[in-house]
Amino acid sequence: MVAKKGNPIFANKEDGNFREALKLYDAKQYKKALKLVETNLKKNSNHAESLALKGCINHNIGNKSEAESYVLKAIQKAPANYLVNHLAGIYYRSVENYVEASKWLKAANDNGSPNKPILRDLSLMQTQIRDYKNLKDSRQQYLEFQPGYRANWTGVAIAHHLNKDYAAAVSTLTKIEGIIKEHLTDADRYEQSECVLYKVDIIAKSGDIAKALATLEEDSSEIKDRLSFLEYKARFLMLLDKKHEASLIYRQLLQRNPDNMQYYNLLELSLGTVGNSVDLRLKLYEKLDSFYPRSDPPKFLPLTFTPSSHARFEEKVRSYLVPQLKRGIPATFVNVKPLYKNHKKLKVIEKVVLDFYAAELPKIDNPTVFVWTNYFLAQHYLYLNELDTANKYIDDALKHSPTLVELYTIKARIVKHQGKFEEAADIMNAGRELDLQDRFINSKATKYYFRANKVDEAIDCISLFTKLEDGVINGCKDLHVMQVNWVLVESAEAYKRLYHEYEAKLKEFKESSPLESEESKELENELVENIETYKGLALKRYNAVLKIFKIYYNDQYDFHSYCMRRGTPRDYIDTLEWEDRIHSTPIYTRVLKGMAEIYFEIYNEQQVKQSSESPSIEEGKTTKKQNNKKNKKKSQINKKKADFIARVESEKDDEDPLGAKLLSDLTNDDQIIDKLFQLYKPLIEEGKDLRLTHEVLYKTYLIEGKYVLALQSVKSLNKVLGGSSDVKLRSIGERVVELSETAQNDKNANAAIVKVVGKGLVSAFPEFGELSKEDFLNVYSK
Amino acid sequence: MGRDIVSLDDLTVNNIGVFKKINSVTLPTSYSEQWYKDSLNTDQIVKLAYYSELPVGAIKAKTINSAHKISTYENMQQQQINAKIVPNAVYVESFAVLEAYRGLGIGERLLKFLEEETKKKFIHEIVFHVHIDNTAAVEWYEKHGFAKSEEVLKDYYKDQGLSNPDAFILSKSI
Repeated sequence: MVAKKGNPIFANKEDGNFREALKLYDAKQYKKALKLVETNLKKNSNHAESLALKGCINHNIGNKSEAESYVLKAIQKAPANYLVNHLAGIYYRSVENYVEASKWLKAANDNGSPNKPILRDLSLMQTQIRDYKNLKDSRQQYLEFQPGYRANWTGVAIAHHLNKDYAAAVSTLTKIEGIIKEHLTDADRYEQSECVLYKVDIIAKSGDIAKALATLEEDSSEIKDRLSFLEYKARFLMLLDKKHEASLIYRQLLQRNPDNMQYYNLLELSLGTVGNSVDLRLKLYEKLDSFYPRSDPPKFLPLTFTPSSHARFEEKVRSYLVPQLKRGIPATFVNVKPLYKNHKKLKVIEKVVLDFYAAELPKIDNPTVFVWTNYFLAQHYLYLNELDTANKYIDDALKHSPTLVELYTIKARIVKHQGKFEEAADIMNAGRELDLQDRFINSKATKYYFRANKVDEAIDCISLFTKLEDGVINGCKDLHVMQVNWVLVESAEAYKRLYHEYEAKLKEFKESSPLESEESKELENELVENIETYKGLALKRYNAVLKIFKIYYNDQYDFHSYCMRRGTPRDYIDTLEWEDRIHSTPIYTRVLKGMAEIYFEIYNEQQVKQSSESPSIEEGKTTKKQNNKKNKKKSQINKKKADFIARVESEKDDEDPLGAKLLSDLTNDDQIIDKLFQLYKPLIEEGKDLRLTHEVLYKTYLIEGKYVLALQSVKSLNKVLGGSSDVKLRSIGERVVELSETAQNDKNANAAIVKVVGKGLVSAFPEFGELSKEDFLNVYSK
Repeated sequence: MGRDIVSLDDLTVNNIGVFKKINSVTLPTSYSEQWYKDSLNTDQIVKLAYYSELPVGAIKAKTINSAHKISTYENMQQQQINAKIVPNAVYVESFAVLEAYRGLGIGERLLKFLEEETKKKFIHEIVFHVHIDNTAAVEWYEKHGFAKSEEVLKDYYKDQGLSNPDAFILSKSI
């Protein structure tokens, strides 16, 4: 950030010094800059710019905790000084607080800063916090400052697009195309192609398909991405109901890629054959199969639409399956699995394979066919949950070819389904030992160890594929650095099962041995300690995933400028849309689910403690525990603990390696339900179709006495669970009753609210008003 | 389609588990961890055989001097030739093909490999022991040019827990 010369703001000595300090700051000479700033402040402690700069410098030299106070002081003293505003913006950006950063950068600009690049930074901030309304203005102003770059025009168009002002976006893109047309070099061709396709896409989004098609054709020579060109064209033709023309394009697309199943479906849509007779469709696919004999879809798709009762279904299954079995294709089962949703089709497949097994297999010389057929049947019966039969087939295969890794994965899966987690892990590991460089089986073995609650074995196993720095005993830290979410989630869940196990043991122990001997006390303490350790670790791992997702979200920051320059607006928009849904992705929701369970557990413990135990007893307990510890051979325990920590540490010199602080902060937090609510807040929008969202939100609202919101959640949950059908679910019925009773029994509740909720429940669930509680629950019993 | 369905490949630290598996399910005798570890040394004659990309067979042999008379299986496995002694024979320590994959030419490929390796070392004799009850194996070897010794080596497999501990010595000059 360079201050302009001759600016009247530098009227005195302090300002001169400050200017000097700024230069040093820009050159990363923080120590020297700090010295100058401090001289200034000694003379004039009210020099706001110096204060702000001191904050920034402090942040950069590692005094992170002090930095913000200087910035705040500076803002307080001179809220309208654009230099202070700018520095505040810079500070908040570096701590990734984009809301504040964008606020102060905007203030800097509004207060007359001559520094125009602020606008560019501001627009990045505004995109990051999805402030599209103001984004448009800052992108526009920056374009006016530097109209010579196409990136700035693309930026404005994207801002309009994000504001759903399609017409403005298109006109911006058209304008720059016209300006730049004469000057395009070969290097610009890709950007040009992408921008043109982007423009066409926006026109289509605005609803004017005919114009989109016309523009696409008009600019055809500019478009390098011929695949997108054809896909767009076909789509537009379909939307314009020019089906015959569309079908020609889909045939062209099929020629390009005959393995894309989607094209076959779209071709059928354009030909209008979907509603037609099965025989006609079979003919179509037979023809396509003769064109593309090496492709799977023309062989497979007929199996999806031919009903199992059709005369030719069995024949079609046979001609699809048997060659695959003969060729020993490992994925044969996976290929036909989509058909299994139809039980009748499943039965036909079973018959075909069993026939093959009995009649043809003995005549085949290649022994691998036997293995792969058994492999198929094992998976088939595993799907049906006929585990004994599945076991028989996989055992035959294993006896026949004990060196085939795939067999072990299925065998382990069958055993896992029998509930024998440890045995399953051992089998998976036996498979892994056959091929140590197979990452797939390594990951599988790791996962199975986790499922057997053998966290150490799991981490050791996956550590074969992690980076091991000097002095590190396993890959735990690297797994965090590499953002291996699935391992983190699996280990969190394993820790959770472990502490639940210890909790059960503790309960049993307390019930069975009421004697207060020294020994039993010690045993009890040990159990308590185990519970705390594993609970802390579970929280620690869950939080690690949350942290990684935060990084994912923050990582988009660089793309707000990069994608403009590279000219990839279409992919950029996709990325933004993905980021907007990131909290509803499977791994993240799995983490949230696990965390909610722990939070509710802790909340319940807090309630119990509040009503029964007085704090003094609790204190007595802990001191006793500490005394006990002292009595033991302390060094031995410390050694053991240090070893344990070395194994589970998630980063070097972790301050809270066992998550003990995380746990104690939570248990002492009387706002724990609100904390949980904050975690779930993004899901209100992003995960509104998820059962989890409404289940947890309902519970938090209920606890917090927000009954109207709880009512909303029950209604949403009903919608998510039941879909459009009118099933009456037990889980809904119980919640309706619970909500009604809780609201009525709550003495602190506003009577009007309780009334509203009561009415709301009756109007959403009419039977609730008509029937008694028992009868209502009988109706809602599915 | 060009490529042979049977192929040979080297033993590596990553697929040594396959080697162990093949030996343990096909051979009645057992081998120590150290023996497997040593099989990765460069002076060893060792190879895996694949059928349709599935590992199904393995052979391991070492050079010996046949003047040394060794009377038990365990000693034979442990014996390492002294650098000063000139080897005059190749001794096959383990040779196995999974039962379901026999009669497909896999053993022949491994044997051919062994004979080539033997020639490369300028050695003209291949020897090994076969369990006396293993008639199928003896027949197979005889078919492939090996000759059975007149005498039977008594108690060779005594500590391997086999019902009949005696062994034949088979050899072939090349």
